[in-house]
Amino acid sequence: MKQVAALISTYSSDEFGVCSALYELGGMVVMHDASGCNSTYTTHDEPRWYDMDSMIYISAISEMEAIMGDDEKLINDITETAAELHPKFIAVVGAPIPYMIGTDFQAIAEILEHKTGVPCFGFEANGMDHYTRGISMALEAIVDRFALTGKENSASAAYDSSADGAAPREARSGAVVNLLGATPLDFSLNGSIESIEIWLEKNGFKTGASIAMGCSLEDISRAGEADLNLVLSYGGLAAARLLEKRFGTPYVVGIPVGAEFAAHLAGRMRGAIETGKSLSSYMDIPAPEEGGAGWIAAVGESVYQASVAAAAAMEQGVDIRVLCPLDTDDMLMRPQDRLTPEEDDIMEAIKEEGCRGFMADPMYRPLLPQGLTFYALPHEAFSGRIYDSVNPNLIDRPLAESLYDFRK
Amino acid sequence: MLKLAVYGKGGIGKSTTTSNLAAAFSALGKRVIQIGCDPKADSTINLLGGQPLQPVMDYMREFDEEPDSIEQISKIGFGGVLCIETGGPTPGLGCAGRGIISTFALLDELDLFEEYRPDVVLYDVLGDVVCGGFAAPIREGYAEKVLIVTSGEKMALYAANNIKTAVDNFEDRGYASVGGIILNRRNVENEREKVEAFAEEHGLEIIADIPRSQDIIHYEDQGKTVIEGDPELEISKIYMDLAKRLLEADESAEN
Repeated sequence: MKQVAALISTYSSDEFGVCSALYELGGMVVMHDASGCNSTYTTHDEPRWYDMDSMIYISAISEMEAIMGDDEKLINDITETAAELHPKFIAVVGAPIPYMIGTDFQAIAEILEHKTGVPCFGFEANGMDHYTRGISMALEAIVDRFALTGKENSASAAYDSSADGAAPREARSGAVVNLLGATPLDFSLNGSIESIEIWLEKNGFKTGASIAMGCSLEDISRAGEADLNLVLSYGGLAAARLLEKRFGTPYVVGIPVGAEFAAHLAGRMRGAIETGKSLSSYMDIPAPEEGGAGWIAAVGESVYQASVAAAAAMEQGVDIRVLCPLDTDDMLMRPQDRLTPEEDDIMEAIKEEGCRGFMADPMYRPLLPQGLTFYALPHEAFSGRIYDSVNPNLIDRPLAESLYDFRK
Repeated sequence: MLKLAVYGKGGIGKSTTTSNLAAAFSALGKRVIQIGCDPKADSTINLLGGQPLQPVMDYMREFDEEPDSIEQISKIGFGGVLCIETGGPTPGLGCAGRGIISTFALLDELDLFEEYRPDVVLYDVLGDVVCGGFAAPIREGYAEKVLIVTSGEKMALYAANNIKTAVDNFEDRGYASVGGIILNRRNVENEREKVEAFAEEHGLEIIADIPRSQDIIHYEDQGKTVIEGDPELEISKIYMDLAKRLLEADESAEN
């Protein structure tokens, strides 16, 4: 059945994605939504809420305001509050009620910007699309608005080149790399993003803006000066493409999970800086021969799971195929991966001949057919903070130690 | 790109005017899209030989999924005009305004303008701006000018006044502005004077004066516009003349 989750939970919606992406950037985020239960995407279920301040507000739209289309109250409330808080930007974010009555968030943002003089954004989230879309639209808009200046030289300037071009280029220390698409919804707060930054340093790169965990709006304003963008999730892809179009900065898709794949990814990043060509780092890793061992289905965000699959192929010779129920892109999916938007699609896929294991968030376990091994890999966007304490950091360490030895 | 939204009281002749303008633009060598934004879904029928087109909402209802190409929800009509109808929900249920917004979002996703590269886009909209959905065609990125169709009848002018007020209310939103009045005559006493008085009161111009014509009815019975039926007719020349002037105004505004 379409759009029915009979046995499993559902993913966080686009509202979560927008809020999560903007959380650390010093803006005032206003959810245009009825009051009640908003804490799921704004406050108490946001893992940074307890340690980090953020200006997140709910408009508390009423029935009469919805019927009358009273945007003026929203505009006046925001204008008044912004005058007190002095946010770096204002984001007005949609929800199911304004979606149904066709609230024009772009127009509201335009009016607000005129009134407040603060950069304003309107995000047409609807509570029905996935969080991946929310992250994508928020990061693309923020980068579009604030990353306006590029580096002086071309992307290959980060590398020495010989005068006659005959000798191969050597990596110059300190090529700057932005991380795009970092949110706790995909990476939890288990130190993964910090580990990626350490891994970058280890490989001779410098971290530019880690968008949007551990970075400021000022960092984002310098994002155009980087030599490369590393796309960590679907949510970062649109921003990477925008930066490529605007500044010619190439991007590489992949997460440095495992030890061997992390090294492979670093190599592909150096290559992309040299050639200026964007690529997905896991596309050229061949699927292991089945050899009767069968394959493992991995459900989740496409970049994350494809990176894990690539690491498992390199380190353990294990065939992991991604089942993606979320927004993704052809560039993020390997030939053996597939879209599985519905619960039924996943159930059918894991019953196919040769499928011997199922890796997913623990809340997917009810789908597990008899005879298959379940490999739990918590995903904050699916199960919230329930499994935070056991959500592993897979960055730059052998999968057998950080996750599983899938051969056993 | 010339993007126009045609508004006016129900039954005043919006679809007739829009279809004849679409046919006239195409006769002038322009690539044209006409989008009917009315649950009745009959805006483009006279560009399609009287054959109805499956509206976008009907497609969604029948297939329970979004189309993945423009071809699935459009037909090519007279003069190569690309015809689309938003349609609406089951009468008495759902939300027709939301249907229009969703259709527009879908057309954006399908890259309609990038794929088809039209010179002219015409939105034929329900009689009045009754809710947010029916203002969608005049939002930023869609129509840039609103043409109000009216006769000299009291209720038609009343509706025209409502439309003008609604558009004025959106002034600070970067929406479309009113580009003029099309007088579609019903042979009311002192009709021109009445509409002129309305136009003057609102600072608007009557950009076309279309006489009541049996020729329009004659060719509509055959599923045609008068431009298709007989471009030499006086009534056809009036539409052609209006189309030319709208194009000239757009070109001079762009320059």
